[in-house]
Amino acid sequence: MAELRYCLAWKRPDGSFQPGETFASFAEAATALSAWQPQSHSGALSTQEPCCTDQVEIWCSCQDEPATVLSRPRYSFVVYGTVAGGGGDGSEAAPWWGLQEAITGLVELERSGQLALRHGQRLRLCHREVFATSAGQKRKARAENIAKTVFMAMALMLVAPVLAILVYLLVKGWPALSLSFFLENPRERMTAGGIWAPLVGTFFLVFISLLLAAPVGILAGVYLNEYARDNWLTRIINLAVVNLAGVPSIVHALFGVGVIMFFAELRRNYGIWVPFEDRCLLAASCTLAVMTLPVIITSTREALASVPMSFREACWNMGATRWQTIRTIVLPNSISGILTGVILQVSRAAGETAPILLTGAVFSVPVPDHGWRAFVPYGLHDRCMALSMHLYTISTQVVNVPEHVEYGTAVVLIGLVLAVNSASIALRVYLRSRKKW
Amino acid sequence: MAGGFGQADWFGVGLVKPIESSARRRQQTCSTGENPKLSVRGRTDLATKSSPKPNAPEVPGGGFLRRLASGVSLTAEAGIEWTIRLCGWSAILFVFAIFFFVLREGAPVLFGELDLVEFFTSTHWQPTSLVRPRYGALALMVGTLSVTGLAMLLAVPVGLGAAVYISEFCQGKVKETLKIVIELLAAIPSVVWGFIGLMVMGPLLMDLTGAEVGVNLLTGGVILALMSVPVIVSVGEDALKAVPDSYREAALALGASRWEIVYRVLFPAAKNGLLAAVLLGVGRAVGETMAVLMATGHAVQIPYSLLDPIRTLTATIAAELGEAVKGGTHYRVLFVIGLLLFAISFVVNLTADVIVKGIKGESRN
Amino acid sequence: MKTKTEPAARPSSSPGESPSSGRSEVHICFRNVTVNYASVVALREINLEVYRREILGIIGPANSGKSTLLRCINRTLDFVPGAKVTGQLLIDGQDVLKVRNVYALRRRVGMVFPLPVGLPLSVYENVAYAPRRAGVRQRHELDAIVERCLRQAMLWDEVKDRLDILGTKLSGGQQQRLTLARALSLDPEILCLDEFSIAIDPVTTMRIEDILRELKQRMTIVLVTNLVQQARRLADRTAFFMAGRLIEVGDTENIFEHPQCELTRRYVEGDFG
Repeated sequence: MAELRYCLAWKRPDGSFQPGETFASFAEAATALSAWQPQSHSGALSTQEPCCTDQVEIWCSCQDEPATVLSRPRYSFVVYGTVAGGGGDGSEAAPWWGLQEAITGLVELERSGQLALRHGQRLRLCHREVFATSAGQKRKARAENIAKTVFMAMALMLVAPVLAILVYLLVKGWPALSLSFFLENPRERMTAGGIWAPLVGTFFLVFISLLLAAPVGILAGVYLNEYARDNWLTRIINLAVVNLAGVPSIVHALFGVGVIMFFAELRRNYGIWVPFEDRCLLAASCTLAVMTLPVIITSTREALASVPMSFREACWNMGATRWQTIRTIVLPNSISGILTGVILQVSRAAGETAPILLTGAVFSVPVPDHGWRAFVPYGLHDRCMALSMHLYTISTQVVNVPEHVEYGTAVVLIGLVLAVNSASIALRVYLRSRKKW
Repeated sequence: MAGGFGQADWFGVGLVKPIESSARRRQQTCSTGENPKLSVRGRTDLATKSSPKPNAPEVPGGGFLRRLASGVSLTAEAGIEWTIRLCGWSAILFVFAIFFFVLREGAPVLFGELDLVEFFTSTHWQPTSLVRPRYGALALMVGTLSVTGLAMLLAVPVGLGAAVYISEFCQGKVKETLKIVIELLAAIPSVVWGFIGLMVMGPLLMDLTGAEVGVNLLTGGVILALMSVPVIVSVGEDALKAVPDSYREAALALGASRWEIVYRVLFPAAKNGLLAAVLLGVGRAVGETMAVLMATGHAVQIPYSLLDPIRTLTATIAAELGEAVKGGTHYRVLFVIGLLLFAISFVVNLTADVIVKGIKGESRN
Repeated sequence: MKTKTEPAARPSSSPGESPSSGRSEVHICFRNVTVNYASVVALREINLEVYRREILGIIGPANSGKSTLLRCINRTLDFVPGAKVTGQLLIDGQDVLKVRNVYALRRRVGMVFPLPVGLPLSVYENVAYAPRRAGVRQRHELDAIVERCLRQAMLWDEVKDRLDILGTKLSGGQQQRLTLARALSLDPEILCLDEFSIAIDPVTTMRIEDILRELKQRMTIVLVTNLVQQARRLADRTAFFMAGRLIEVGDTENIFEHPQCELTRRYVEGDFG
C-alpha cells in the first residue's frame, strides 16, 4: 500500500476548499495548522454553515493517486477563537480553546489511534466564536420555530372559523335587524314579525333562575372555601359539583320532567301544595338554576380563594366570628369574581335550549306585544317562549321562514350571549385593575 | 379591686339569648365609652358591676356583662353557619336528585319490560310501531360514539396545540386576547352551533362533496369539535400552568429550547391534566344535545361513511320525549337512555377528577 | 428545670380575693400543655405561669414552639388543621381550651403576628374593625378609639391626615404598627406580641417599647421575640424555649445574669441561635 499524504486545504470565500501544502505525516500537517488565521466569513457562509466563521481541512490521499475526496468529512472538530478556558475535546459541545490546544489535541488523538484517515477522507476543523450558536442550537431553534408555527396555526384554527362564522351570520341577518324586529311578536306562523315574546321569555327564564341559583350557589361556594375542612365530605361535594357541571343538559331536562311528574302525583294523590305541576316558566327556571349552579359555585370559590388567608387570620385574632369575617372582609373583596361567575351563569342560561325544551318552553304562546302586558306576558305557571327555543323552532320545525329572519334571530341570540360574556370579562379586567392589595 | 374583674366569667360560655337591643346598645356604649381614657379605674368599675362567681351556672337575665363581652350572638352565628352548610351540601343533593328522579321515571321499564339485551345489541329503534315497538339503542349509541370520536379526532390535537401555544409560546396581550376568544367560543349557545351546522356548513358540505344531505356525521363532528375545543384548551392550559416554573427554569438552564421543554418536560409532567382535559372534552361532546339534534341528520342507522346521517342518544330524547305518551313504555325508555347518559358523564367526570387529583384527592391550592 | 425563684401560683378561683400586689397574681397558667401538629410535637408539657400586669419575654430559636404558645392562648390554633392541644390553659382560673365562645376570648387577647397585615379597608376602619364587630356604633367613640390606638402604635402622626387611605397601601413598617393598633383597639387585658418589631425601624421600635412599658400598667403582655436584647430591655420575666420545651423561666435579670441551665446561658450569650 502506498504512502498516505496529508494535504492542508484552506477555505475560500466562495465556500470551496483550496488544497495547499502537502505533508508526509499527520502530525506535520497538524502542526502546520498553526499558520492558520481564521477569518470571519459572515454573509454568504453564514446561511450554509452558520456555526463556523472559518474552516480548514486536512485531506488524506495516497501518494500516487489524485486527491479526490468524499463529499462529507469523516471527522469534524471545533475550536474556539480565544484562549479563555481549557479542557475541551474538540466536539460540538466542548470545543478546544485556541488553536494551540486544537493542534495538541489532534496530534494526541492521531497518536492514540483514534483518528484513522484513509485515502479520500478528510478531517475538518471549524473555528467558532465563543458565543456563536452551534449547529445543534440552530437545529433546535429551527425545530422550535416550526413547533411555534404549528401551535400558532392550531390556535388560529380556532379563532379564524369562529370569526368567519360570526361575520357571515351578521351579514346574512343584517336585513332583519330593525327596531320592529325586536318589539313585535312572531306573526303568520312565525314567518313574519319579530322576536319580542321569545326575548321577554328568555329574560324571565334567566332572571328567575338567577334568583334561585345565585344565593344557593354563592353560599355553597362560601361553604366550600371558608367552612369546609379537608375531609371526605368536602371531597364528595367537590365531586358532586364537578359532576353536576358535567351532566348533559338533556338529562337536566329529564330531571325537570321527573320532578314535574312527581309534583303532579303528589298534588293528585295527596293534595299537597307544590310549586308547579306542569310544564311552566317556573319549572324551566328551576331546571336552568340547577344546571347553572356549579358555574356559580366554582367561580365563587375561586374568587374567595384569591383573598389572602392573612386577612382572615387578622380578623379572627380580633375576635370576629367566621361570618363577620366573611361579610366584612372576604365577600367585599371577592365580589368581582363572584359577579363574573353570576354573569357567566346568565349567559349560559340564556343560550340553553335542551333543559327548557321539555320543561316549560313551547313553540308559540299568544301574548300581547303592546301595552303594559307586553312586559309581563308570562305568569310563573304559564308556558313561555324563549329565544333559543325560537331559533330551534324556526330553523327546523317551521317551513317557509325567510332566511333573514332565521339569521336575525341567531344573531340576536349570539349577540345577547356574547354581550353578557363580554360584560363579565370587562368587569373582571376593570376590577382586577383596582385591586386593593 | 383590680383583680376583681378578672374573675368574671367573661367567656360567656355560650348561650346568648336575644336581649332588648336598646338596653344592649346602652351597655356597650358605657363599656367602651370610657375606653379613650383607658383608665384602670374604668375597667375596674366595669368589672365590679358584675362580679359573678366563676363557672357560675347561666342565670337568665343576670350577668349582662357576659353577653356584652361576647358581642355576638352565637345562635345567629350557628344559624348562618348551618344555612351556608346546607347550601354547600346542596350540590350532593342535586346530583342525587337528578339520579333519583330520572331513575324513578325509568325504573318501571328498566326493571320490567325492557329487554336490556335488545336495548344494547339491536339497531331497531321503532318505538312508535303499532305492531311491535322495538327499543334497540345500538345505532344511537354508535351514533353518539362515532360523532364523539370524530369530534375528538379533530379537537384533541388542535385543542392541546392551542393550549400549549397559549401557555408556553405567547405572552401579554396576545395571550389575553386568545384566552378571551376561547372563552367567547365556549359561550356560543349550542342551538346556534346547530343552526350554523344546519344552515351554513351543511350546504357548504353538499357543494364540496356532493353529499345527498348536508347534515351528517361529518358536519356534526366538526361542530362538536368546535364546541368541545374550549374545554380542552382551558383545562389543558390549567394543567400546563400547574407545572411548576422551576421545571421550566431547570430545563432552560440545561440549554433546552422551549419546544424541547414542551415535549420532554411539560407533556410528561402534565399528562394527567391533559388527559383530564381530553376526558372533559369527551364528556361535553357526549352530552351535547341541540347541536347534534340539528346538525347530524336524524337517521337511526350505523354510519358507514363520514357523510352518513346519524342520530345520537341525546338527540333522541330531545326529539321524542315531547311526543311520547306520558307514562308509556316509549316515554320511560327515553328516561333509561337518560340514565345511560348520566352514567356515562358520571364515569367520565369521576375519571377525570381521579386522574387530576389522585384517588385520595388533594385539597385545592 | 424550672426555677423556683417565683412565688408559687395562688389558686385564683375565689371571687372575694383581691390581692393588693397584682404583680404576683397568676393571670395565665399553662398546666401540662402539649400541642401536636399531626405527628409533630410542637409543645411538650408546658407548665408556665404568667402574672398579671407583667411583661413575659419568650425567647428561643426558631421552631421552639413560641408562636404555637401564643396561638394556644387565643385559640387560633383551632384553625390549624391537625393541631391537637392537651392539658389545661387557665386564664383567671377558666380553662381556655374548653371555652365555647372563643370570640369573646379573642377580644380579650390582643395578638400581633410577625407579618404585617393591613386589611383592605381604610386605616380608620382597620382600627375600628374590632370595636364595630363588638357593637360600638357611636362615631365619636370610634374616633376616640382610633386615635388612641394609632397614638399607642406610634402611627398617628404619620396617618392622621389620611385616615381614609387603604391599609394595604401603607408601607410594611406602617402596616405592622397598624396591626399593633388593631390589637389594642379592644383594650385587651392580655397582649400577645409575636416578633412585633420585625418590620419596624429601630427608633420606632424603641418608642413602641416605651408604650409597652406604659401599657403594662393595665395589661399582661406576652412578648415573643427573636431579639434577646429586646427581652432583656422589656421583660419582667423571661422564659427560654427550645424544641417545644420550656427550658427555663425566671426574672429577666436572673435569666441573663445567672442562668440555671447551660443551654440558656449559651443562648443569651449568643453562642447559638
